[in-house]
Amino acid sequence: MKLFKYYPIKRDISIDMRKLFYTIRNLAVLITLCVALPLSGCKKYVLVSPSTTTVLGTAVYASDATAIAVLNGLYSQMIRLGPSNEGSICSLSFFTELSGDEFTLLNTVTNSTQLAYYQNNLGVNGTGAFWANFYNYIYTCNAAIEGLNAATGLTPAVQQQLLGEAKFLRAFYYFYLVNLYGDVPLALTSDYTKNVVLARTPKDQVYQQIVSDLTDAEGLLYDGYLQANLILPYTATTAERVRPNKYAAAALLARVYLYTNKYAEAITQASIVINNSTYYALTPLNNVYLKNSKEAIWQLQPINAGVNTPDAQFFIYPTTAGPTTSNPVFLSNALLGAFEPGDQRKINGNWVNSVTIGTTTYTYPFKYKIYLNNTSVTTASALTEYEMVLRLGEQYLIRSEAETQQNQLTQAIADLNAIRSRAGLIGTTATTQQQLLAAILHERQVELFSESGHRWFDLKRTGNVNAVMGSGGATALKGGSWTPTQALYPIQDILRDPQLTQNPGY
Amino acid sequence: MNFTPKSTAAHSGARQTLKHILLVMKLTTFLLIIALVQASAKGYSQITLHEKNAPLEKVFKEIKQQSGYAFIYENSAIDQTKISLDVNNASLESTLKVCFANLPLTYKIVDKAVVIQQKETSFIDKVKEAAKAVFTNIDVTGRVLDEQGLPIPSATVTVKGTSNATITDAKGYFVLKGVDDKSIILISVIGYEKREISAKNNIGDIKLVVATTKLDEVHIIPYGQTTQRLTVGNIGSVSAKVISEQPIQNPLLALEGRIPGLFITQASGINGGGVNVRIQGQNSIAKGSDPLFIVDGVPYQSQMLKTTMIGSDLLGGLGGPGQSPLNFINPGDIQSIEVLKDADATAIYGSRGANGVILITTKTGSVGEQRIDVNIQQGVQFTPRITEMSTSQYLAMRREAFRNDGLIPSSNPSASGTSVYAPDLMFWDTTRYTNWQKELLKSALYTNVNASISGGTVNNQYLIGGSYNNQGAGFPGDYNDQKGTLHFNLTTTSANKKFKIQLGGTYLVDDNRLPSTDLTNTALTLPPDAPVLYNTDGTLNWQLNSTGNSTWTNPLNFLYQKYSNKTSNLIGNLLTSYELMPGLQIASTFGYNKLGTDELKYRTLESVPPASRGTAGILSANFANNTVDTWSIEPQVSYKTKIGKGFLNLLIGSTFQEIKSNGLNYTGSGYSTIATIEDIKSAATVTINSSLASVYKYNALFSRLGYTWDDKYIIDLTARRDGSSRFGENNLFHNFWSVGGAWIFSEEKLIKDNFSFLSYGKFRASYGTTGNDQIGDYQYLSVYNSLNNGINYQGSTSLTVNATTGLSNPNFQWEETRKMQFGIDFGFVKDRLLLNATYSRNRSSNELLNYQLPSITGFSSIIQNFPATIQNTSWEFSLNSINSSNANFSWSTSLNLTIPRNELVDFPNLASSTYSGTVIIGQPLGVIKAPHFLGVDPATGLYQFADRFGNPTASPSALDANNYYTTLPTLYGGFQNSLRYKSIQVDLFFQFVKQKGTFAGQFGSSPGTANNGPESFANLSHWQQPGDITSIQRYSTNNSNVSLAQARASSSDAAIVDASYIRLKNVSVSYALPQTALHIFHIKTAKIYLQAQNLMTITSYPGSDPENQSSIVLPPKKTLVFGMQAGF
Repeated sequence: MKLFKYYPIKRDISIDMRKLFYTIRNLAVLITLCVALPLSGCKKYVLVSPSTTTVLGTAVYASDATAIAVLNGLYSQMIRLGPSNEGSICSLSFFTELSGDEFTLLNTVTNSTQLAYYQNNLGVNGTGAFWANFYNYIYTCNAAIEGLNAATGLTPAVQQQLLGEAKFLRAFYYFYLVNLYGDVPLALTSDYTKNVVLARTPKDQVYQQIVSDLTDAEGLLYDGYLQANLILPYTATTAERVRPNKYAAAALLARVYLYTNKYAEAITQASIVINNSTYYALTPLNNVYLKNSKEAIWQLQPINAGVNTPDAQFFIYPTTAGPTTSNPVFLSNALLGAFEPGDQRKINGNWVNSVTIGTTTYTYPFKYKIYLNNTSVTTASALTEYEMVLRLGEQYLIRSEAETQQNQLTQAIADLNAIRSRAGLIGTTATTQQQLLAAILHERQVELFSESGHRWFDLKRTGNVNAVMGSGGATALKGGSWTPTQALYPIQDILRDPQLTQNPGY
Repeated sequence: MNFTPKSTAAHSGARQTLKHILLVMKLTTFLLIIALVQASAKGYSQITLHEKNAPLEKVFKEIKQQSGYAFIYENSAIDQTKISLDVNNASLESTLKVCFANLPLTYKIVDKAVVIQQKETSFIDKVKEAAKAVFTNIDVTGRVLDEQGLPIPSATVTVKGTSNATITDAKGYFVLKGVDDKSIILISVIGYEKREISAKNNIGDIKLVVATTKLDEVHIIPYGQTTQRLTVGNIGSVSAKVISEQPIQNPLLALEGRIPGLFITQASGINGGGVNVRIQGQNSIAKGSDPLFIVDGVPYQSQMLKTTMIGSDLLGGLGGPGQSPLNFINPGDIQSIEVLKDADATAIYGSRGANGVILITTKTGSVGEQRIDVNIQQGVQFTPRITEMSTSQYLAMRREAFRNDGLIPSSNPSASGTSVYAPDLMFWDTTRYTNWQKELLKSALYTNVNASISGGTVNNQYLIGGSYNNQGAGFPGDYNDQKGTLHFNLTTTSANKKFKIQLGGTYLVDDNRLPSTDLTNTALTLPPDAPVLYNTDGTLNWQLNSTGNSTWTNPLNFLYQKYSNKTSNLIGNLLTSYELMPGLQIASTFGYNKLGTDELKYRTLESVPPASRGTAGILSANFANNTVDTWSIEPQVSYKTKIGKGFLNLLIGSTFQEIKSNGLNYTGSGYSTIATIEDIKSAATVTINSSLASVYKYNALFSRLGYTWDDKYIIDLTARRDGSSRFGENNLFHNFWSVGGAWIFSEEKLIKDNFSFLSYGKFRASYGTTGNDQIGDYQYLSVYNSLNNGINYQGSTSLTVNATTGLSNPNFQWEETRKMQFGIDFGFVKDRLLLNATYSRNRSSNELLNYQLPSITGFSSIIQNFPATIQNTSWEFSLNSINSSNANFSWSTSLNLTIPRNELVDFPNLASSTYSGTVIIGQPLGVIKAPHFLGVDPATGLYQFADRFGNPTASPSALDANNYYTTLPTLYGGFQNSLRYKSIQVDLFFQFVKQKGTFAGQFGSSPGTANNGPESFANLSHWQQPGDITSIQRYSTNNSNVSLAQARASSSDAAIVDASYIRLKNVSVSYALPQTALHIFHIKTAKIYLQAQNLMTITSYPGSDPENQSSIVLPPKKTLVFGMQAGF
């Protein structure tokens, strides 16, 4: 202080030295505050609330509404994209059937993905969209199963139904994965650190899990159809069949048992569905694909405004000009030739329709019929058709096949004829087990065409794929050359998961 | 060298400094208080006094009563002093003058007080003298001014060869005590040439001249200024002059090739298109490598909101960097652009500086009479073209393809089996030839007008500028990009120069109208015999066939699918500063930026063939509205003082920043008429495609300590603590630091005496850390998004797990880049030849990876830190030479050269990681692994490749892709020559890049399909029959084996070509009109000029352009303009 040469302030300059020092102190405090503020206050400052466009993953199972919305999200994603979007649920009816013998692809198509599926020429760089999409859905199922099991604030009935739906869906996706790719990694948790190094699980074990999930689901799911709040049921006549229920689980289980040669179980499960006449009955051909038809066990409600099903949009030619690169397929001669004379399903306007240009007739699937854009379609009530996922007709064929395998030929013939008679056909002429199996395979071809890859899977599971596709068969007609390893699609993920192995031939 | 005594000295010096600071702070506050207390005193008045031999004290009392002015003095100074005084109605000034005429005292009016001091020393200096306790006998006083007579504050004034130094106050005054009268006084300040003056009592005004050598040009650095002479950091700079010579609309393009270490590529020639910017390479494997942009102190977006924008494919170059936000800054408003590269320069920006910093400073007014500047440009732009097949070559190719496939071309649109519908062969007029590049890639007009009015007084300066720019789109039709800007800057300073406030603002509106699709690909692939575009009645020709269906997609249908992008960009910044005392300043910047885009894309009936016009829903419009609001506040305290023989600069500051992004993308469909298509209310259905709402907050505390000893040794320390909302709660903050030092060895006596040819020599080094948080907002949260269904599923809402942050990692942390750098600078021949070499090594670790996951996890990636290390090294060289400089002729040359290398140094357990297939240790990021191409298999006519054992294979697997290529540049730079002869100035700038690139052209579309291709398809031999040895495989229309082989070839090493180029980037020729003639028109200066951008390119690259290397995106345009610039 002595360095400060003191200049006495005269009274006429009204300065209070104490005030001066206070001011100095205050100034110092101010500066310190300016500097220290960020240190103390900044943590609070930089913490931000989540975006208003999102819901935190930790919060979705806190209320019925958000928990239901997650499952609705899965259904929406399944129906969102049409057959031309490789990897979508709807595209099962296009890409897998392109691989098989149902479709002819317009010869001006240059889309390499479509060509690769069509000419059975999927290289190692195959796109793998089914794999990636289905595992993404499975993640949501796994997260839902974990979240629902841990949830405490949900209505018990809602919690139970959702858990059943999540298990059902997980089984549903795995069913397609094993049938497309063979052995697949079995991810049963949302924890990526565990999933990231999974190796392929033998197909049988995957099927075990599918059966286990479906059995659980069958126990958990509601015995009818539930309204959107998952508490109130619909009446049988007004039911929106857009969520899987107990019978959907039974129906898929029947299919799984058939695919895994457990025929007695297949018969049991198919019967559960077929016997429930309150909800299910075979309907006239042109009513099958209407929304909430009695044929429907589970349908997906279209969600894009202005249009009905994505399948109708894709398969039906919007103009009389015939196929284009946007609507590039028509039914193959192999399939058209397979219809027996008098089959009502092949009558134009029933399940097929055709356009003739010059001398060529193009016949396309017409199961779904509403394809024109209609801007007034903005609510579900304005929709006419829903996308079919599981239907009663298949259950008859499953039971028929299983009965044949169990040598219950009379019942088998009755079930098969139920489908045939709806199509305006006389009863089957097959009498032996062998003949019946062939007749059922044939009936599946003409009944389930352009639906979810049934034909492609049937060819593979019955061991007929090489005969149908192989030398002189379908692949050659499509401009490719068949190798038996093409029956399974290539796995792209091997680059990212070193534990994975590639399917042979790639 | 013995460090011990020095450190002791420094220690005691620091203690003294602390005392000094305290003391000066108190004193300043004291003065401040007086000023405040007295502010209420009486106003100006006339004084009348009649005193005889009165005590001075009494006289003061009297004057105070009459004038309201207080007196501050030391009792001892006026003790016993008596005076006689006789004034009538005099002003205070003249009263005081008379009063002190014969006294050994001086006075000074400070606000409402009169401060009295002993004559030999000022009041303030007395205190300083007391503080220093130094005995003085001679004081040197003076004032430092610039050329216009304005005071220069904070200039360094040193007694040469001693540690006696000070800095000038706000009014430019200085006082040096205890100076030997034979010594030399050295005055130095950034941006001005040094001046040496002999010591004397009162030197008076000393004028400094603005430095003209490159070494002493002012560089803007974060929160301050420096020169190349004194800088420690690695900073490149481009001035307004260089920018103005280039007819460009994105200021980034003005930097291409100009700055070592900065690599810029223009991804698209579309107006407003994307630009890639990399400073010293790519530091991050997966996350953003964009530099930080700061415009007038305010952080600016480096990316547009891609997710909710429509035009990203058109404006970004498909898969490219997206539209560049820098398009919305008028190059004409820019005073300088600084590029900060090393740790020393960037560490002050902490987390945001890892990828370098680009500082943009806009123009401000300057002191002088009002000046009006007008610059008008008019020109034309061209798109480069390549040579393609003629009609006969094309037809021959197609026909052969049909023969090869065993197919027959048919005019029947429903042909099936072996006949295939081929309108290009069977229906169109095959005698036609159209050069579609000429037809679809047009030249475009370029107009640019800039005008400004500026001027100012010592205390107030202003600048108001406006500009208008209009660029044609380069496509047919009436498409253009129009921009208008308003820019202003106001600076005002208080009379005592202590308080300064600067308000700047820019508002830009841009209306960019484009066709909805880039026609480049169509121009390159449309068959040369395709029909005419228009019918005779002016409507689009759809070339209908017998069934009434169109046989082609008329490329001009895109003209009927309109796209417009309206952008407005408001940048406002306010800078306030107050000098508490000489050297101590508090300041704060306040910045605001609002960047908003409104996009509209719609289809009209004319854009579809007549047959499809009946389809419902054809009329649809896609809208997108996006805004990004950024604000920032940066309070700072800076202090500059002298310690020992050197000066200390201390800066402490804080940053608060917030960015709010909002976006909405929606589609209206089902319009009944085109007339109301822009009105969403008229749409029958509105679909929300995507929405975005995010908030980013950022906070930091930073400090920088710089010490310059005797203009010889410089040390810089920075430290920073950063917090970003992009990290989880546990990792919000991170610390960053840097150390830099420089040694100007040319100032050493040893060097001066022995190497006199060396006028300047500096060695500099820096090391430090910076970070990266460019990972997007909320990535640490696992979130679900609402699905926007047109029809709700079962009538209720749907949520879906977010595709990118569904799997989330709450624990990821800041990515860190450690930057190390050494540089050496030499100046020869009085700094006319400057050489500079820098080596930098940046290592990024703790990489924030979008760690690729196998799809079985449900996702393709998750963000996590990974101990991978990426190293970017670069050698940067620059040479600046003034070859000749005299009144009539001057010639200068500059050359810069960068040799970069990017390498993945380390990646633990790479083999078992999900990156095993994409990165390789020891190779650069983005390495291309390709199988070796072996040409055409003579037996099958298909391309073949070498497998990993060297054997030919038609289907190489991933394991066979073991040849490594990088498309990163291996050398780049620029070469500038500026020549002036009397009034004619010529500038030539060459940019050069040595690199490999990809050329999809040859392997993009398979020869034989209905696509035109490069002439090489026809010129090179192609396979026709088994045994043929050719370079092009068999033609085919759509055989999958052929197209697969084609696809494989395009991912083999055959598609990797030399993409090096030398480009005459800029030519500018100007003629300054003679002053004498101009005076008649009251014009101060005027010049006319010609400028050209991208004038000529020397390259062996076979595609349209080696820079954007794309056959689907418009390449950078060639621009020629004529202009006139005048100042009134």
